[in-house]
Amino acid sequence: MQIRILKPGLMSTIQDMGRYQYLSQAVPVSGAMDTLSARIANKAVGNQDHAAVIEFTYADAEFISETDLLIAYAGDGAILQANEQKLPVSRPLFIPSGTTIKLTHNPSGIRIYLAVAGGWDVPEILGSRSTFLTAGFGGLDGRALKKADIIKSDESMSTCTQKILFSLKNDQINYPGWSIPRQCFLPVDRKTIMVVPGNELGWFDARSIVGFLSAPYIVAQQSNRMGYHLEGAALHRIKKDELLSTAVMPGTVQVTGSGSMVLLMADCQTTGGYPRIAQVAAVDMPLCAQLKPGDAIYFKEISRSEAEVLYIEREQQLQQLTTAVQSKY
Amino acid sequence: MADKAFKIYYLSEMAVTVEFGQKIAENLLKAVNSLNELLYRQPFTGFHTTVPAYSTLTIFYDPVLVIRSNLPGAGCFEKVSAYLNDLNLQKKTDNAIKGDTIIIPVYYGENFGPDLEEVASLHQISTGDVIKLHSAATYKVYMIGFVPGFAYLGGMDERLATPRKATPRPSVPAGAVGIAGHQTGVYPMETPGGWQIIGQTPVKLFDENREQPSLLKPGDTVMFKRIDLNEFNELSTG
Repeated sequence: MQIRILKPGLMSTIQDMGRYQYLSQAVPVSGAMDTLSARIANKAVGNQDHAAVIEFTYADAEFISETDLLIAYAGDGAILQANEQKLPVSRPLFIPSGTTIKLTHNPSGIRIYLAVAGGWDVPEILGSRSTFLTAGFGGLDGRALKKADIIKSDESMSTCTQKILFSLKNDQINYPGWSIPRQCFLPVDRKTIMVVPGNELGWFDARSIVGFLSAPYIVAQQSNRMGYHLEGAALHRIKKDELLSTAVMPGTVQVTGSGSMVLLMADCQTTGGYPRIAQVAAVDMPLCAQLKPGDAIYFKEISRSEAEVLYIEREQQLQQLTTAVQSKY
Repeated sequence: MADKAFKIYYLSEMAVTVEFGQKIAENLLKAVNSLNELLYRQPFTGFHTTVPAYSTLTIFYDPVLVIRSNLPGAGCFEKVSAYLNDLNLQKKTDNAIKGDTIIIPVYYGENFGPDLEEVASLHQISTGDVIKLHSAATYKVYMIGFVPGFAYLGGMDERLATPRKATPRPSVPAGAVGIAGHQTGVYPMETPGGWQIIGQTPVKLFDENREQPSLLKPGDTVMFKRIDLNEFNELSTG
Protein backbone atom coordinates (compact mmCIF):
# COMPACT_ATOMS: atom_id res chain seq x y z
CA MET A 1 0.00 0.00 0.00
CA GLN A 2 1.22 3.48 -0.79
CA ILE A 3 0.28 7.13 -0.37
CA ARG A 4 1.69 10.35 -1.81
CA ILE A 5 1.70 13.55 0.22
CA LEU A 6 -0.03 16.40 -1.62
CA LYS A 7 0.17 18.89 1.26
CA PRO A 8 2.35 18.06 4.28
CA GLY A 9 0.67 20.25 6.92
CA LEU A 10 2.43 22.10 9.72
CA MET A 11 4.40 19.21 11.23
CA SER A 12 3.88 15.65 10.08
CA THR A 13 6.33 12.97 11.12
CA ILE A 14 6.51 9.19 11.28
CA GLN A 15 6.49 7.91 14.87
CA ASP A 16 6.05 4.71 16.82
CA MET A 17 6.06 3.87 20.54
CA GLY A 18 9.52 5.41 20.98
CA ARG A 19 13.20 4.68 21.26
CA TYR A 20 14.15 3.48 24.74
CA GLN A 21 17.33 1.47 24.25
CA TYR A 22 19.73 4.40 23.81
CA LEU A 23 18.61 6.74 26.59
CA SER A 24 22.02 6.24 28.24
CA GLN A 25 23.63 7.82 25.16
CA ALA A 26 21.24 10.78 25.46
CA VAL A 27 19.02 9.68 22.58
CA PRO A 28 15.51 10.90 23.49
CA VAL A 29 12.45 8.65 23.66
CA SER A 30 10.65 10.43 20.77
CA GLY A 31 7.65 8.47 19.44
CA ALA A 32 3.99 9.46 19.25
CA MET A 33 3.10 12.33 21.58
CA ASP A 34 -0.38 10.83 22.09
CA THR A 35 0.48 7.14 22.41
CA LEU A 36 -3.15 6.27 23.24
CA SER A 37 -4.42 7.52 19.87
CA ALA A 38 -1.50 5.99 17.99
CA ARG A 39 -2.20 2.61 19.60
CA ILE A 40 -5.94 2.83 18.92
CA ALA A 41 -5.29 3.61 15.24
CA ASN A 42 -2.97 0.59 15.02
CA LYS A 43 -5.39 -1.72 16.83
CA ALA A 44 -8.22 -0.68 14.49
CA VAL A 45 -6.34 -2.16 11.51
CA GLY A 46 -5.10 -5.21 13.41
CA ASN A 47 -1.51 -3.96 13.79
CA GLN A 48 0.75 -4.32 16.78
CA ASP A 49 0.83 -1.17 18.91
CA HIS A 50 4.39 -0.29 17.95
CA ALA A 51 3.80 -0.21 14.17
CA ALA A 52 4.86 3.11 12.65
CA VAL A 53 2.12 5.74 12.24
CA ILE A 54 2.06 9.26 10.82
CA GLU A 55 1.58 12.00 13.42
CA PHE A 56 -0.20 15.01 11.87
CA THR A 57 -0.22 18.29 13.82
CA TYR A 58 -3.37 20.37 13.20
CA ALA A 59 -5.19 19.90 9.88
CA ASP A 60 -4.32 21.47 6.53
CA ALA A 61 -2.71 18.34 5.11
CA GLU A 62 -3.69 16.20 2.14
CA PHE A 63 -2.62 12.91 0.61
CA ILE A 64 -3.71 10.56 -2.18
CA SER A 65 -3.93 6.77 -2.12
CA GLU A 66 -1.73 5.35 -4.88
CA THR A 67 -2.98 1.83 -4.17
CA ASP A 68 -6.00 0.44 -2.33
CA LEU A 69 -5.53 1.19 1.37
CA LEU A 70 -6.57 -0.19 4.71
CA ILE A 71 -6.03 2.67 7.18
CA ALA A 72 -7.37 3.98 10.48
CA TYR A 73 -6.90 7.27 12.28
CA ALA A 74 -7.41 8.39 15.86
CA GLY A 75 -6.90 11.53 17.90
CA ASP A 76 -8.19 15.10 17.79
CA GLY A 77 -7.17 18.04 15.68
CA ALA A 78 -8.38 16.88 12.30
CA ILE A 79 -11.10 14.88 10.59
CA LEU A 80 -10.30 12.91 7.49
CA GLN A 81 -12.47 13.68 4.50
CA ALA A 82 -12.63 12.09 1.05
CA ASN A 83 -14.44 14.32 -1.45
CA GLU A 84 -17.27 15.59 0.76
CA GLN A 85 -17.51 12.41 2.82
CA LYS A 86 -16.32 12.53 6.43
CA LEU A 87 -14.42 9.41 7.43
CA PRO A 88 -15.13 8.05 10.91
CA VAL A 89 -12.35 7.90 13.52
CA SER A 90 -10.96 4.88 15.37
CA ARG A 91 -12.18 2.34 12.85
CA PRO A 92 -10.65 0.50 9.86
CA LEU A 93 -11.25 2.30 6.57
CA PHE A 94 -10.93 0.74 3.13
CA ILE A 95 -9.90 3.42 0.62
CA PRO A 96 -9.68 2.64 -3.12
CA SER A 97 -6.65 3.69 -5.12
CA GLY A 98 -6.75 7.27 -6.42
CA THR A 99 -8.74 8.78 -3.55
CA THR A 100 -7.68 12.21 -2.30
CA ILE A 101 -7.97 12.55 1.47
CA LYS A 102 -8.01 15.91 3.22
CA LEU A 103 -7.50 16.69 6.89
CA THR A 104 -10.09 19.23 7.97
CA HIS A 105 -9.90 21.20 11.19
CA ASN A 106 -11.24 19.82 14.46
CA PRO A 107 -10.76 22.26 17.36
CA SER A 108 -10.84 19.68 20.15
CA GLY A 109 -7.14 18.86 19.92
CA ILE A 110 -4.09 19.09 17.69
CA ARG A 111 -2.73 15.64 16.81
CA ILE A 112 -4.07 12.71 14.86
CA TYR A 113 -2.37 9.43 14.01
CA LEU A 114 -2.70 7.62 10.71
CA ALA A 115 -2.07 3.88 10.79
CA VAL A 116 -1.88 1.61 7.75
CA ALA A 117 -2.20 -2.18 7.49
CA GLY A 118 1.26 -3.55 8.37
CA GLY A 119 2.60 -0.15 9.52
CA TRP A 120 4.46 2.50 7.50
CA ASP A 121 7.65 1.07 6.11
CA VAL A 122 10.66 3.13 7.15
CA PRO A 123 13.94 1.69 8.44
CA GLU A 124 14.37 0.98 12.11
CA ILE A 125 17.12 3.23 13.51
CA LEU A 126 18.42 2.42 17.01
CA GLY A 127 15.44 0.16 17.61
CA SER A 128 12.67 2.52 16.53
CA ARG A 129 11.04 4.05 13.44
CA SER A 130 10.37 7.36 15.22
CA THR A 131 11.59 10.60 13.67
CA PHE A 132 14.00 12.63 15.82
CA LEU A 133 14.34 15.96 14.05
CA THR A 134 17.18 17.49 16.12
CA ALA A 135 19.62 14.74 15.18
CA GLY A 136 18.01 14.13 11.78
CA PHE A 137 17.42 10.40 11.99
CA GLY A 138 14.48 8.02 12.08
CA GLY A 139 11.18 8.19 10.23
CA LEU A 140 11.46 9.32 6.63
CA ASP A 141 15.13 10.40 6.23
CA GLY A 142 15.09 11.99 9.69
CA ARG A 143 12.79 14.82 8.64
CA ALA A 144 9.18 15.98 8.59
CA LEU A 145 7.06 14.93 5.61
CA LYS A 146 7.00 17.20 2.59
CA LYS A 147 5.05 17.53 -0.62
CA ALA A 148 5.47 14.62 -3.09
CA ASP A 149 6.83 12.21 -0.45
CA ILE A 150 5.80 8.65 -1.21
CA ILE A 151 5.26 6.46 1.84
CA LYS A 152 4.77 2.71 1.58
CA SER A 153 3.42 0.22 4.04
CA ASP A 154 5.15 -2.90 5.28
CA GLU A 155 3.64 -5.73 3.23
CA SER A 156 3.75 -8.24 6.08
CA MET A 157 0.31 -8.13 7.72
CA SER A 158 -1.03 -9.91 10.78
CA THR A 159 -3.75 -12.52 10.28
CA CYS A 160 -6.22 -10.12 11.87
CA THR A 161 -5.23 -7.34 9.43
CA GLN A 162 -5.67 -9.69 6.47
CA LYS A 163 -9.15 -10.66 7.67
CA ILE A 164 -10.18 -7.01 8.16
CA LEU A 165 -8.93 -6.17 4.67
CA PHE A 166 -10.73 -9.15 3.13
CA SER A 167 -14.01 -8.19 4.82
CA LEU A 168 -13.87 -4.55 3.63
CA LYS A 169 -12.33 -4.85 0.15
CA ASN A 170 -14.59 -3.08 -2.30
CA ASP A 171 -14.55 -0.66 -5.24
CA GLN A 172 -15.48 2.26 -3.01
CA ILE A 173 -14.81 3.59 0.49
CA ASN A 174 -15.94 1.02 3.00
CA TYR A 175 -15.84 0.56 6.78
CA PRO A 176 -17.50 -1.61 9.41
CA GLY A 177 -20.19 -0.61 11.91
CA TRP A 178 -17.88 -0.87 14.91
CA SER A 179 -15.25 1.54 16.16
CA ILE A 180 -12.90 1.66 19.14
CA PRO A 181 -14.43 3.94 21.79
CA ARG A 182 -11.42 6.15 22.52
CA GLN A 183 -13.58 8.45 24.66
CA CYS A 184 -13.85 5.63 27.23
CA PHE A 185 -10.19 6.27 28.03
CA LEU A 186 -10.58 10.01 28.39
CA PRO A 187 -11.94 11.87 31.41
CA VAL A 188 -14.84 14.30 30.96
CA ASP A 189 -12.52 17.11 32.08
CA ARG A 190 -9.56 16.91 29.74
CA LYS A 191 -7.88 20.01 31.15
CA THR A 192 -7.14 18.67 34.63
CA ILE A 193 -3.86 16.78 34.59
CA MET A 194 -2.95 14.31 37.32
CA VAL A 195 0.58 14.60 38.73
CA VAL A 196 2.71 12.77 41.28
CA PRO A 197 4.95 15.02 43.46
CA GLY A 198 8.48 15.31 42.03
CA ASN A 199 11.66 14.62 43.97
CA GLU A 200 12.38 18.35 44.42
CA LEU A 201 8.83 19.42 45.33
CA GLY A 202 10.15 20.34 48.79
CA TRP A 203 12.51 22.89 47.24
CA PHE A 204 9.51 25.23 46.79
CA ASP A 205 7.65 27.24 49.40
CA ALA A 206 4.21 26.11 50.60
CA ARG A 207 2.40 28.94 48.81
CA SER A 208 4.00 28.03 45.50
CA ILE A 209 3.00 24.38 45.93
CA VAL A 210 -0.60 25.30 46.78
CA GLY A 211 -0.64 27.60 43.76
CA PHE A 212 0.78 24.89 41.52
CA LEU A 213 -2.04 22.55 42.53
CA SER A 214 -4.88 25.08 42.27
CA ALA A 215 -4.10 27.89 39.82
CA PRO A 216 -4.52 27.60 36.04
CA TYR A 217 -1.44 27.37 33.82
CA ILE A 218 -1.53 28.39 30.18
CA VAL A 219 0.28 26.47 27.45
CA ALA A 220 2.62 29.04 25.87
CA GLN A 221 3.31 29.59 22.18
CA GLN A 222 6.81 28.27 22.84
CA SER A 223 5.66 24.65 22.87
CA ASN A 224 6.69 21.76 20.67
CA ARG A 225 7.52 18.05 20.70
CA MET A 226 10.37 18.70 23.16
CA GLY A 227 8.25 20.43 25.77
CA TYR A 228 5.62 23.00 26.67
CA HIS A 229 6.35 26.24 28.45
CA LEU A 230 3.59 26.93 30.96
CA GLU A 231 2.57 30.45 31.94
CA GLY A 232 1.16 31.10 35.37
CA ALA A 233 2.07 32.01 38.92
CA ALA A 234 5.87 31.94 39.36
CA LEU A 235 7.19 29.35 41.79
CA HIS A 236 9.45 30.41 44.63
CA ARG A 237 12.24 28.27 45.95
CA ILE A 238 13.24 27.88 49.57
CA LYS A 239 16.14 25.62 48.65
CA LYS A 240 18.48 27.35 46.24
CA ASP A 241 20.91 24.49 45.60
CA GLU A 242 21.96 23.61 42.09
CA LEU A 243 20.56 20.27 41.03
CA LEU A 244 23.22 18.02 39.54
CA SER A 245 22.07 16.91 36.10
CA THR A 246 20.06 13.70 36.40
CA ALA A 247 17.51 11.75 34.37
CA VAL A 248 14.25 13.36 33.29
CA MET A 249 11.61 11.98 30.94
CA PRO A 250 8.42 12.88 29.11
CA GLY A 251 5.94 14.08 31.74
CA THR A 252 8.55 15.64 34.02
CA VAL A 253 7.59 19.19 35.11
CA GLN A 254 10.74 21.26 35.59
CA VAL A 255 11.00 24.71 37.11
CA THR A 256 13.60 26.92 35.40
CA GLY A 257 15.83 29.52 37.06
CA SER A 258 13.27 32.29 36.54
CA GLY A 259 10.56 30.24 38.29
CA SER A 260 8.62 29.31 35.16
CA MET A 261 7.56 25.79 34.32
CA VAL A 262 8.35 23.45 31.46
CA LEU A 263 6.44 20.22 30.88
CA LEU A 264 8.75 17.82 29.05
CA MET A 265 7.29 15.94 26.10
CA ALA A 266 8.34 13.11 23.74
CA ASP A 267 11.52 14.62 22.26
CA CYS A 268 12.86 15.95 25.59
CA GLN A 269 16.47 15.60 26.71
CA THR A 270 17.30 12.53 28.75
CA THR A 271 18.88 14.54 31.58
CA GLY A 272 18.21 17.93 33.12
CA GLY A 273 19.45 20.15 35.91
CA TYR A 274 16.29 22.01 36.93
CA PRO A 275 14.32 20.96 40.03
CA ARG A 276 11.40 18.69 39.23
CA ILE A 277 8.20 19.74 40.95
CA ALA A 278 6.03 16.94 39.55
CA GLN A 279 5.66 14.05 37.14
CA VAL A 280 2.50 13.86 35.02
CA ALA A 281 0.68 10.53 35.39
CA ALA A 282 1.47 8.44 32.30
CA VAL A 283 -2.25 7.90 31.63
CA ASP A 284 -2.68 11.68 31.29
CA MET A 285 0.17 12.23 28.82
CA PRO A 286 -2.20 11.65 25.86
CA LEU A 287 -4.30 14.56 27.19
CA CYS A 288 -1.20 16.76 27.31
CA ALA A 289 -0.34 15.74 23.74
CA GLN A 290 -3.62 17.26 22.55
CA LEU A 291 -3.11 20.63 24.28
CA LYS A 292 -2.51 23.69 22.15
CA PRO A 293 -1.01 27.09 22.93
CA GLY A 294 -3.51 29.15 24.90
CA ASP A 295 -5.19 26.18 26.62
CA ALA A 296 -5.54 26.52 30.40
CA ILE A 297 -4.79 23.46 32.50
CA TYR A 298 -4.95 22.58 36.20
CA PHE A 299 -2.78 20.09 38.06
CA LYS A 300 -4.25 17.61 40.51
CA GLU A 301 -2.09 15.62 42.91
CA ILE A 302 -2.32 11.83 43.08
CA SER A 303 -0.05 9.38 44.88
CA ARG A 304 2.71 7.30 43.39
CA SER A 305 0.71 4.11 43.91
CA GLU A 306 -2.46 5.58 42.39
CA ALA A 307 -0.48 6.51 39.27
CA GLU A 308 0.94 2.99 39.05
CA VAL A 309 -2.48 1.35 39.45
CA LEU A 310 -3.97 3.63 36.77
CA TYR A 311 -1.13 2.76 34.42
CA ILE A 312 -1.53 -0.98 34.87
CA GLU A 313 -5.33 -0.78 34.51
CA ARG A 314 -4.92 1.21 31.31
CA GLU A 315 -2.53 -1.37 29.88
CA GLN A 316 -4.98 -4.16 30.71
CA GLN A 317 -7.85 -2.29 29.01
CA LEU A 318 -5.72 -1.73 25.92
CA GLN A 319 -4.81 -5.42 25.84
CA GLN A 320 -8.52 -6.29 26.01
CA LEU A 321 -9.14 -4.01 23.02
CA THR A 322 -6.75 -6.05 20.90
CA THR A 323 -8.61 -9.21 21.87
CA ALA A 324 -11.95 -7.54 21.13
CA VAL A 325 -10.87 -6.51 17.61
CA GLN A 326 -9.49 -10.00 16.89
CA SER A 327 -12.70 -11.63 18.11
CA LYS A 328 -14.71 -9.79 15.45
CA TYR A 329 -12.91 -11.64 12.63
CA MET B 1 24.15 -2.76 48.74
CA ALA B 2 24.90 -3.31 52.40
CA ASP B 3 26.05 0.13 53.46
CA LYS B 4 22.87 1.91 52.38
CA ALA B 5 24.90 4.75 50.89
CA PHE B 6 22.09 5.55 48.51
CA LYS B 7 18.51 6.72 48.30
CA ILE B 8 15.85 5.43 45.90
CA TYR B 9 13.17 7.79 44.62
CA TYR B 10 10.24 7.64 42.21
CA LEU B 11 10.69 9.24 38.79
CA SER B 12 7.58 7.85 37.07
CA GLU B 13 5.39 4.73 36.78
CA MET B 14 8.22 3.14 34.80
CA ALA B 15 11.39 4.50 36.37
CA VAL B 16 13.14 4.87 39.73
CA THR B 17 16.32 6.79 40.45
CA VAL B 18 19.08 5.58 42.77
CA GLU B 19 21.00 8.54 44.20
CA PHE B 20 24.47 7.95 45.66
CA GLY B 21 25.25 11.55 46.59
CA GLN B 22 24.91 15.12 45.43
CA LYS B 23 28.33 16.07 44.13
CA ILE B 24 30.63 15.44 41.20
CA ALA B 25 33.19 12.93 42.43
CA GLU B 26 35.00 9.95 41.01
CA ASN B 27 33.82 7.59 43.77
CA LEU B 28 30.18 8.40 42.91
CA LEU B 29 30.89 7.82 39.22
CA LYS B 30 32.24 4.40 40.25
CA ALA B 31 29.19 3.62 42.38
CA VAL B 32 26.83 4.53 39.52
CA ASN B 33 28.88 2.50 37.07
CA SER B 34 29.04 -0.57 39.35
CA LEU B 35 25.29 -0.68 39.88
CA ASN B 36 24.75 -0.20 36.15
CA GLU B 37 26.99 -3.14 35.28
CA LEU B 38 25.49 -5.29 37.98
CA LEU B 39 21.94 -4.65 36.75
CA TYR B 40 22.82 -5.58 33.19
CA ARG B 41 24.45 -8.80 34.50
CA GLN B 42 21.58 -9.61 36.87
CA PRO B 43 18.45 -7.88 35.54
CA PHE B 44 15.12 -8.24 37.35
CA THR B 45 11.95 -9.29 35.50
CA GLY B 46 10.76 -6.29 33.48
CA PHE B 47 14.12 -4.46 33.56
CA HIS B 48 14.36 -2.24 30.51
CA THR B 49 17.26 0.21 30.44
CA THR B 50 19.23 2.76 32.51
CA VAL B 51 20.32 6.38 32.40
CA PRO B 52 23.56 6.98 34.34
CA ALA B 53 24.23 10.57 35.48
CA TYR B 54 26.82 12.26 37.77
CA SER B 55 25.63 10.72 41.01
CA THR B 56 22.44 8.88 40.03
CA LEU B 57 21.42 5.82 38.08
CA THR B 58 17.87 5.86 36.76
CA ILE B 59 16.37 2.46 36.05
CA PHE B 60 13.55 2.03 33.52
CA TYR B 61 11.25 -0.99 33.58
CA ASP B 62 7.98 -2.34 32.23
CA PRO B 63 5.44 -1.98 35.08
CA VAL B 64 3.20 -4.70 33.63
CA LEU B 65 6.01 -7.26 33.93
CA VAL B 66 7.28 -5.97 37.29
CA ILE B 67 3.84 -6.12 38.95
CA ARG B 68 3.48 -9.79 37.91
CA SER B 69 6.94 -10.71 39.27
CA ASN B 70 7.32 -12.37 42.64
CA LEU B 71 9.51 -9.64 44.13
CA PRO B 72 8.20 -8.55 47.53
CA GLY B 73 6.06 -5.40 47.70
CA ALA B 74 2.59 -4.18 46.75
CA GLY B 75 3.54 -1.92 43.84
CA CYS B 76 6.26 -1.68 41.19
CA PHE B 77 8.20 0.97 43.09
CA GLU B 78 8.35 -1.25 46.19
CA LYS B 79 9.25 -4.34 44.16
CA VAL B 80 12.09 -2.67 42.27
CA SER B 81 13.32 -1.01 45.49
CA ALA B 82 13.34 -4.38 47.23
CA TYR B 83 15.40 -5.85 44.41
CA LEU B 84 17.90 -2.96 44.50
CA ASN B 85 18.20 -3.14 48.29
CA ASP B 86 19.04 -6.83 48.09
CA LEU B 87 21.74 -6.49 45.42
CA ASN B 88 25.16 -7.17 46.81
CA LEU B 89 26.90 -4.13 45.39
CA GLN B 90 29.50 -3.85 48.13
CA LYS B 91 31.96 -6.32 46.64
CA LYS B 92 32.08 -4.56 43.32
CA THR B 93 32.51 -0.91 44.26
CA ASP B 94 36.29 -1.17 44.72
CA ASN B 95 36.85 -2.31 41.16
CA ALA B 96 38.16 0.27 38.75
CA ILE B 97 35.83 1.37 35.94
CA LYS B 98 36.51 -0.42 32.69
CA GLY B 99 36.65 2.74 30.64
CA ASP B 100 38.49 3.24 27.36
CA THR B 101 40.99 5.97 26.56
CA ILE B 102 39.94 8.02 23.58
CA ILE B 103 42.04 10.62 21.83
CA ILE B 104 40.08 13.36 20.10
CA PRO B 105 42.01 15.24 17.40
CA VAL B 106 41.27 18.98 17.38
CA TYR B 107 42.12 21.82 15.05
CA TYR B 108 42.35 24.82 17.37
CA GLY B 109 41.61 28.42 16.41
CA GLU B 110 40.89 30.36 13.24
CA ASN B 111 37.51 29.57 11.64
CA PHE B 112 37.27 26.36 13.64
CA GLY B 113 37.77 28.12 16.98
CA PRO B 114 36.29 31.61 16.68
CA ASP B 115 36.51 32.26 20.45
CA LEU B 116 40.11 31.11 20.98
CA GLU B 117 41.48 34.68 20.94
CA GLU B 118 38.80 35.88 23.34
CA VAL B 119 39.49 33.06 25.81
CA ALA B 120 43.24 33.79 25.63
CA SER B 121 42.89 37.53 26.17
CA LEU B 122 40.40 37.02 29.02
CA HIS B 123 43.01 34.99 30.90
CA GLN B 124 45.89 37.16 29.65
CA ILE B 125 47.74 34.22 28.14
CA SER B 126 48.63 33.41 24.54
CA THR B 127 46.40 31.33 22.28
CA GLY B 128 49.24 28.79 22.24
CA ASP B 129 48.97 28.52 26.04
CA VAL B 130 45.22 27.91 25.82
CA ILE B 131 45.85 25.11 23.33
CA LYS B 132 48.63 23.66 25.49
CA LEU B 133 46.54 23.71 28.67
CA HIS B 134 43.52 22.24 26.91
CA SER B 135 45.40 19.45 25.14
CA ALA B 136 47.70 18.56 28.06
CA ALA B 137 44.96 17.61 30.50
CA THR B 138 43.40 14.18 30.97
CA TYR B 139 39.62 14.26 31.14
CA LYS B 140 37.08 11.87 32.62
CA VAL B 141 33.62 11.29 31.11
CA TYR B 142 31.09 11.71 33.92
CA MET B 143 27.88 11.39 31.97
CA ILE B 144 26.22 11.61 28.57
CA GLY B 145 23.31 14.04 28.29
CA PHE B 146 21.91 17.20 26.64
CA VAL B 147 21.97 15.84 23.06
CA PRO B 148 22.88 12.35 21.75
CA GLY B 149 26.57 11.66 22.40
CA PHE B 150 27.33 14.83 24.39
CA ALA B 151 29.83 14.01 27.15
CA TYR B 152 30.12 15.97 30.38
CA LEU B 153 33.90 15.98 31.00
CA GLY B 154 35.72 16.60 34.27
CA GLY B 155 39.36 17.57 34.58
CA MET B 156 39.80 20.84 32.73
CA ASP B 157 42.64 23.09 33.93
CA GLU B 158 41.06 25.75 36.19
CA ARG B 159 43.08 28.41 34.38
CA LEU B 160 40.80 27.91 31.35
CA ALA B 161 37.49 28.39 33.18
CA THR B 162 35.55 30.93 31.09
CA PRO B 163 31.96 32.16 31.32
CA ARG B 164 29.56 31.28 28.51
CA LYS B 165 29.04 33.78 25.71
CA ALA B 166 26.61 36.57 26.61
CA THR B 167 24.54 35.77 23.51
CA PRO B 168 24.39 32.14 22.38
CA ARG B 169 25.11 31.43 18.72
CA PRO B 170 22.05 30.33 16.75
CA SER B 171 24.12 27.49 15.33
CA VAL B 172 27.30 25.73 16.43
CA PRO B 173 28.67 23.10 14.03
CA ALA B 174 28.99 19.40 14.86
CA GLY B 175 32.45 18.72 16.30
CA ALA B 176 32.88 22.17 17.87
CA VAL B 177 35.05 22.05 21.00
CA GLY B 178 33.93 24.51 23.64
CA ILE B 179 34.44 25.81 27.16
CA ALA B 180 31.64 26.87 29.52
CA GLY B 181 32.50 27.68 33.12
CA HIS B 182 34.65 24.86 34.49
CA GLN B 183 33.58 22.45 31.77
CA THR B 184 34.80 21.57 28.33
CA GLY B 185 32.97 19.49 25.76
CA VAL B 186 32.35 18.67 22.12
CA TYR B 187 29.07 19.36 20.31
CA PRO B 188 28.02 16.09 18.63
CA MET B 189 25.61 17.77 16.24
CA GLU B 190 24.71 21.18 14.94
CA THR B 191 22.69 22.97 17.64
CA PRO B 192 22.36 26.48 19.05
CA GLY B 193 24.96 26.97 21.78
CA GLY B 194 26.52 29.45 24.19
CA TRP B 195 29.89 27.80 24.81
CA GLN B 196 33.19 29.50 23.91
CA ILE B 197 34.34 27.64 20.81
CA ILE B 198 38.12 27.12 20.69
CA GLY B 199 38.42 24.40 18.04
CA GLN B 200 36.79 21.63 16.08
CA THR B 201 37.24 17.88 15.73
CA PRO B 202 36.63 16.00 12.48
CA VAL B 203 35.66 12.94 14.53
CA LYS B 204 31.97 12.07 14.83
CA LEU B 205 30.93 12.06 18.50
CA PHE B 206 27.62 10.45 17.57
CA ASP B 207 26.73 8.30 14.59
CA GLU B 208 23.42 6.43 14.62
CA ASN B 209 24.89 3.91 12.14
CA ARG B 210 27.70 2.81 14.48
CA GLU B 211 27.26 -0.18 16.76
CA GLN B 212 27.95 2.09 19.72
CA PRO B 213 26.50 5.36 18.40
CA SER B 214 28.05 7.55 21.10
CA LEU B 215 31.86 7.67 20.81
CA LEU B 216 32.15 8.28 24.56
CA LYS B 217 30.59 6.63 27.60
CA PRO B 218 30.77 7.33 31.34
CA GLY B 219 34.10 6.28 32.82
CA ASP B 220 36.10 6.82 29.62
CA THR B 221 39.31 8.86 29.67
CA VAL B 222 39.57 11.57 27.02
CA MET B 223 42.56 13.47 25.69
CA PHE B 224 42.59 16.19 23.05
CA LYS B 225 45.38 16.18 20.46
CA ARG B 226 46.26 19.21 18.38
CA ILE B 227 46.22 18.56 14.62
CA ASP B 228 46.97 20.69 11.56
CA LEU B 229 44.70 21.44 8.62
CA ASN B 230 46.02 18.55 6.49
CA GLU B 231 45.30 16.06 9.23
CA PHE B 232 41.88 17.64 9.79
CA ASN B 233 40.98 17.26 6.11
CA GLU B 234 42.30 13.70 5.93
CA LEU B 235 40.30 12.67 8.99
CA SER B 236 37.17 14.44 7.69
CA THR B 237 37.16 12.54 4.43
CA GLY B 238 38.21 9.27 6.06
